[in-house]
Amino acid sequence: MTRRRRRALALASALALVAGGVVVAGCGGDDNKAAGTTSGGGGATTDGGTATKGGTYRVGVSDLGYSNGFDPSAEYTAVSWQIQRNLMVRTLLGYRFTEGPTGNEPVPDLATEIPTPTNGGKTWTFTLKDNVKFGAPLNRAITSKDIAYSFERLANPKVAAGYAFYYTDIVGFQAFADGKAKTISGITTPNAKTIVFNLTKPLGDFIYRLTMPATGPIPREVGKCFEQSGRYGRYVISSGPYQIEGADKLNPASCATMKPISGFNPVRSLSLVRNPMYDAATDVETTRESNPDRFTWTVNTNSKDIFDKIDAGELEGSQDAIPADVARRYLRDDALKDRVKPRVDDGTRYITMNLTEAPFDDIHVRKAVNLVMDKGGLLRAWGGTTYGEVGTHIIPSSLLPATDEVANYDPYPSPDGAGDLAAAMAEMKLSAYDKDKDGLCDAGPCKGTLLINRNVDPYPKMEPILVESLKKIGITPTVRSLPTGSAYTLIQTVAKKIPIGANPIWGKDYSDASTFAVLFDGRNLAPTNNSNYSLVGITAAKAKEIGASYPAGGVPNVDADIDKCNALPAGDERLECWFAFDKKLMEEVVPWVPYFASKNTDLLGPAVTKWDFDQSAGETAYSKVAVDPSKQK
Amino acid sequence: MGRYVIRRLLWTILVVVVVTFLSYVIFFLMPSGDPATRFAGRQPTPELIAEVRRQLNLDEPWPLQYVYYLKNLIFGDEYGWPGFGYSFNQSVPILPELIERSKVTLSLIAGGAILWLAMGIPVGVISAVKRRSITDRLTMGVALFFVSAPVFWLGLLSLYLFWNKLGWLPGTGYVSFGTSPKDWFLHLLQPWFVLALLFAAIYARLVRGNMVDTLSEDYIRTARAKGLSERRVIYRHALRSSLTPVISLLAVDLGVLVGGTIVTESVFNLQGLGQWVLVGTTDQDLPVTLAVTTLVAIVVSLMSLLGDIVYAYLDPRVRYK
Repeated sequence: MTRRRRRALALASALALVAGGVVVAGCGGDDNKAAGTTSGGGGATTDGGTATKGGTYRVGVSDLGYSNGFDPSAEYTAVSWQIQRNLMVRTLLGYRFTEGPTGNEPVPDLATEIPTPTNGGKTWTFTLKDNVKFGAPLNRAITSKDIAYSFERLANPKVAAGYAFYYTDIVGFQAFADGKAKTISGITTPNAKTIVFNLTKPLGDFIYRLTMPATGPIPREVGKCFEQSGRYGRYVISSGPYQIEGADKLNPASCATMKPISGFNPVRSLSLVRNPMYDAATDVETTRESNPDRFTWTVNTNSKDIFDKIDAGELEGSQDAIPADVARRYLRDDALKDRVKPRVDDGTRYITMNLTEAPFDDIHVRKAVNLVMDKGGLLRAWGGTTYGEVGTHIIPSSLLPATDEVANYDPYPSPDGAGDLAAAMAEMKLSAYDKDKDGLCDAGPCKGTLLINRNVDPYPKMEPILVESLKKIGITPTVRSLPTGSAYTLIQTVAKKIPIGANPIWGKDYSDASTFAVLFDGRNLAPTNNSNYSLVGITAAKAKEIGASYPAGGVPNVDADIDKCNALPAGDERLECWFAFDKKLMEEVVPWVPYFASKNTDLLGPAVTKWDFDQSAGETAYSKVAVDPSKQK
Repeated sequence: MGRYVIRRLLWTILVVVVVTFLSYVIFFLMPSGDPATRFAGRQPTPELIAEVRRQLNLDEPWPLQYVYYLKNLIFGDEYGWPGFGYSFNQSVPILPELIERSKVTLSLIAGGAILWLAMGIPVGVISAVKRRSITDRLTMGVALFFVSAPVFWLGLLSLYLFWNKLGWLPGTGYVSFGTSPKDWFLHLLQPWFVLALLFAAIYARLVRGNMVDTLSEDYIRTARAKGLSERRVIYRHALRSSLTPVISLLAVDLGVLVGGTIVTESVFNLQGLGQWVLVGTTDQDLPVTLAVTTLVAIVVSLMSLLGDIVYAYLDPRVRYK
């Protein structure tokens, strides 16, 4: 899923607003941990660096609306998680907010330790640290009931929590959601420091699910007033090192007395200041350095101007995607290139093929498409390696075992990812859609095959590469380019029977491969808003129910593989299981052409003296940055 | 005159109804995706989407939703009067935001209008008086250039030159007059000029054309024959009648610009109405789009009425019954 819009009403406004893309859910991870301090032009910065305390870290952003008003219970964007987890919302378990595999490992945050589950992996008991407190205006100790309440919000349909499905295996969660119970029976709080979760089945990734911002403590006395979608965002009570500026003026006496905290207006700016109730001594494992005194995010509708201001030292960074021309200019200049920070963010951009629609109901056609696709060309259309690396498999390598086998795994290899026509034609010959066995798809469905694409930059630049690649094996697509929302709606509506789509991206929600596996779970299939675009695991009955076709040869099902991996506890065996699953997808199911592993690329202002990458969110680690106010304008 | 004004005001109400109705039709009959899915996560259940739709008031048939919209507009809602509802995407009540953004847009339009009148009218007059001279050709050539130059290009050029390179003016953004009158002025200077250059060019060409026609009228010849000074002929007799069409045009332009400064506001990061309607449209944020279109429909209608009344006042030949 990607973040947001961009449909120009006119050429002029489109150009003025160029590259206003914003990244949504999905995080990152690679193992190329950079270190040391370098300085670029104008006193630029790099990873590591000097942690100077004080100053204001200023960020430009084209939209602060995010996905659900900044309400931690409902937000579903990596950029909001980045702010909340690094700065405002502590959870039972968190991350180290650093780059690479280390940044993807859960560590205790509010909890004293990561417990060992009991009851066959179904019971998890956490103890809260001493001296963890809410910020203004409550300034009181955080208790286990505050965490239990955040789960009640997750289950509450009115809050419209985007990822409540991760918690439906807690005993009584669904009953509470359905209004059949007043509490979630599977969550108990024997005392103010202890919270116990009882699950319906063992979940190896449960500790990862407890790192999500929605599971952070929310005080019921404030939260109860804002149990509608996105409404709590302007009243978030901090449990982290920073709080919304003006939080001390919030009057929590009653719902009527609470007015939006002045430091956050979703249409203009967000301003965070230090939370005096935060005790850094309780935050050793996650190592939030909390260097600046203040953070600001200011909406700027001119994305180009954001990067001009970073260039001029008026901003330290942006949450918008860096325009390709700006990235090129910096990367070509030795004095400036260190200020550009491309980091693999654990997202996969891919072409989805519908396993129930001809000619993609034939695995040989799907393999041939993987073999012939000019992935290198698609990457260049995006702007090159600043934006990603040629994709070779579905699940990001950082979520799999850190082995050479994973690093080198490429079942459809070709030099520079340019495609291997001979191998593709050989594969196509095995297909029933190549009637004369000349290596070209020549049956009816190969002509005019509907291909969905987006009409926003840079997707149109991909179109000729997609078309030419497919033509080489006899598939002549009819491309339909649509706005982002429309393109997604189309491929998510099963009855539309879209054969192939080049518009999606998927990123991890948390640092476990299960957040990719859900895309291939046949039990998740739905007639609309369906995210299993390839319809992996569909049965004849389900196809009839949701309006899909069903091919004579059937459709592969990987539900058992998913269950097998999900039941394993976090560790090497689980990682190996997911790698086997990834290989099965790539070689026996072949639902996608993963054309590149995406990168998050930040541009830093000259006043930034320290920077790190939060692998868990796939974004800048705000908890680690520092600025030198003397270099700010 | 009174009956004419009342009739026009009734027309204004009809215009608002038609414009908002068309906005609803466009939103619901030509959708580019369900707005509810944006707030329902990556694997939304039908129940969750239904709940979000209910909260966004999208669960009723759209004609009924339209009736509710009109009702809230007339009688107000929980956020005040007139009732414009709550933004889908930005999680803010519309009314206070509409007021705040109107201040920004009005600041931009007012300053821009003063500048373009101050530049356009004198240039048009001089060009007409010195018809076919080098001055005439030069000013009209410059005017043609600015009419043709895209506003975004002028804006980016201005920022590059006066902020980025010379550092004479602050960059983008808006500072309210109450915060700092000086910063308010300095931040608006570039947008004012960029907006004004386009309109000044249009108005200069309009005034020139009117003046050329007027100067060939018999009564001008008579005035000159009576021995009036050329200055008096031009400013007292010719200019007055040449400006009456400008009044009508100005009234409509000011109204249209209330929601029509999209590019200028976007380039200079002014959080005004034009920029807001762009975001509202691209985000399928129906309440935002409706609020701005409703306001623009009202303002355009009222400004048009005002222009007609002033026209009648300036030109005794025109009287409304």
